[in-house]
Amino acid sequence: MKTYHIVKCGLILIFILILSTGTASAFNIYDEEIYKGDGYQINNYFIEVFNIISHEDSRLLTINMYQLKSDGTYEELDVKRETNVNNKLTKHKYQSDIVEIIVMEKNCTSTYATVDITTSGIKVVYNQPVKGGLSSAKFIGEPSLLLTKEVDKTNVEIGDTIRVTIKAKNVGSGPAKGITIDHGITPGFTFKSAIYTTYPEELAAGNPDYTQMYIYEMEAAQSGTVTLTPAIATYYCSTYDSEYSSNSNSPVVTVAQEAVETSVLELTVTPHKTELQRGNKVTFTVSLRNIKDIPATTVRLDMIYPYNLTYESGCEDIKIIDNKPVIQKSIYEARYEDEYDYTFLANEVGIYNITAKVSYNDGANNIINETTSDMIYVTEGKYDFLKEYPLYVYIIPIIIIAAIAGWIFWRRNQFKM
Amino acid sequence: MLNILIIGAGQCGNRILDSINNKAFGGGRFSKYYSKQKFPSRVETIAVNTAINDLKEMQYTKAKDRLHIPHLHGVGANRIIGKQCFIDNKDLIMRTIKERGDFDVAFVITSSSGGTGSSFSPPLIEELKNTYDFPVYGVVILPFREEGTIYLQNTAFCLKEMHNSGVDGIILGDNQFLKYAGTDIQSAYDGINSMVAERILFLLEALDSEMMMVTDLGDFKTVMSGGAGIATIGFAKGDGTNSIKSIIQQSLSPNGLLFSSNIYEEGSRAMIILRGDRKYLNIDDISSQIDKLSSHIGHVFKGVIIRNGEIPKILSVVTLETTVELDNLYTLAVEAIQMEKEKHDRMALEKETGAAFSKIDGLEPQY
Repeated sequence: MKTYHIVKCGLILIFILILSTGTASAFNIYDEEIYKGDGYQINNYFIEVFNIISHEDSRLLTINMYQLKSDGTYEELDVKRETNVNNKLTKHKYQSDIVEIIVMEKNCTSTYATVDITTSGIKVVYNQPVKGGLSSAKFIGEPSLLLTKEVDKTNVEIGDTIRVTIKAKNVGSGPAKGITIDHGITPGFTFKSAIYTTYPEELAAGNPDYTQMYIYEMEAAQSGTVTLTPAIATYYCSTYDSEYSSNSNSPVVTVAQEAVETSVLELTVTPHKTELQRGNKVTFTVSLRNIKDIPATTVRLDMIYPYNLTYESGCEDIKIIDNKPVIQKSIYEARYEDEYDYTFLANEVGIYNITAKVSYNDGANNIINETTSDMIYVTEGKYDFLKEYPLYVYIIPIIIIAAIAGWIFWRRNQFKM
Repeated sequence: MLNILIIGAGQCGNRILDSINNKAFGGGRFSKYYSKQKFPSRVETIAVNTAINDLKEMQYTKAKDRLHIPHLHGVGANRIIGKQCFIDNKDLIMRTIKERGDFDVAFVITSSSGGTGSSFSPPLIEELKNTYDFPVYGVVILPFREEGTIYLQNTAFCLKEMHNSGVDGIILGDNQFLKYAGTDIQSAYDGINSMVAERILFLLEALDSEMMMVTDLGDFKTVMSGGAGIATIGFAKGDGTNSIKSIIQQSLSPNGLLFSSNIYEEGSRAMIILRGDRKYLNIDDISSQIDKLSSHIGHVFKGVIIRNGEIPKILSVVTLETTVELDNLYTLAVEAIQMEKEKHDRMALEKETGAAFSKIDGLEPQY
């Protein structure tokens, strides 16, 4: 029975201690020197040494107390004054239902007073001597955190990692204390790791910059367009003995289905020479490379070339279909690469290029890929000047020469024995 | 229009014939390819030879006009073999001539000294005279005197046989006399051939042209029938500055003749043909020269061919009564014949005595 009472008393004591730390408790300031006209601010209570009246050897200290308002006004509190007849020291006391402030004069000169200040019923979050009296006092208000949530990318595929950064800024008028961050994990994402967690427990008001609070990484596990769950910051302000919370914004992230691995055929076309004369031949080498681990199927390689170039010859794989050189392969193995030569005859003077066009099935879709060669410059051939004249210019002399040759041959035979 | 047959027999005859054909084409090296022969008459040419290489060398005579008489490669300057060869192939030759049609006159050109030409020409002329009634004239080229005894004796017999063949006249050309025509033997031969060809063509033109003063085949026959039946041809041409008088004199001078002769002393009849622009042909000069010649030799036929813008050319045909040069030639020929005969006799004697071979008679080789 005795043990029961000891435990019971202990629990009561612990409860009282918790209560005294978690709520308002006594606050004492001793031997504070406050000059005439100056004051001391405890939370939004302002204690002002209003006047010191000297009379012979005695001094009469007058202290006023004020309640500061958020709108910049104040309310003068009702202060009771008691002067000890023995030592002539004055006690100033403000008493409300729960708050009690006592300013006890300990010494007083004509310019300043030394006082002890005791409070109860106040959770002191701000106490500071204030030069200049009431006009210099500053209202201590409520905190308000502005929270942001940022992602490093908004379009990802399943399995990709997103880095999320949470920042905060106190845009209120009072300090935010005991800050805790709930980063707000979003369904469809898996938390991977926290990168930065050492955020401050308190943020003072008035700082225009954001403070980095929390960084973590998560992995996209489900496709779709997802609005991330906002982060939540909770904090309190002892001035008002209240708890607050702020939500961040909610970024939108689009998560695509995980890509199906397909084949990709890369194509290049290289002319062996870029300058040639009309009537000469030029060879183009087409390099076709499957850069993926998946084979391509139903591959067809066509050459698109101007009518001024005539296909002449090429490698064994080339077949002529509809008078055009075509390479067809039912399968083009993964990581396979080959080169194909096409030789063309340049019929006309000009600047030309050719285009290689490959069509194939990459395992999921039918793909068409094209690439164009460098320009080739076809200049006039050695005997092109002959083309400037009509055919009869050549035919007639040839006929004449042939007739003369025939005549000479016939005549020579007449005289040959 | 006259129908004229020209036969070139043997190498010399072939080459002169080829030169005639070349000049008829215009004279250029390639003229046969672009030109037509410009004979004033219908002229048929036939080259006859036993040496096919000589025929092949001809360039301006058509192959169909070259008659090869197959007999090894020539008769080797042996007239006996040559004459037998002609007898063996007479029908072929005469048939070939007959195929060419009818003629008004024929010329047989040959060398007197060689094999085929000198041996074929006399019997050929005789056969022509026996077969046809048109006149046949021999154009005979005499050899260089230093060419040797065989050529000299061939010449002597050839000329004699031709004279006896019934020929209507022999026109002589003399290599010995004309050898100044070239600087070396080849160019000399070419020059002589060209010279003879040019004169024959001029003669053909004179026989068949519309002349201001007419000479014709009849006149030519009359001229050629004069004297000893031996004639020569003279030729000269002006340069535009010399007078027609001097040109006529030049054609009758030894330098203008094909055969060395003193026309004024040895001539019998003559025919002078003048050709050129009217402005060069002064009739007084011409008459004075004709008169001068006729006063020495008797009758002279003259013909004038007017060619506008052409410098004057003169052709003279002169028959000879006597000729010192021919006598000299026959003197040399007789010496040559005798020299050959002595050589023959000497060799025959050596054969009879056995000469060197008889020294080993009765001996046997010892091993």
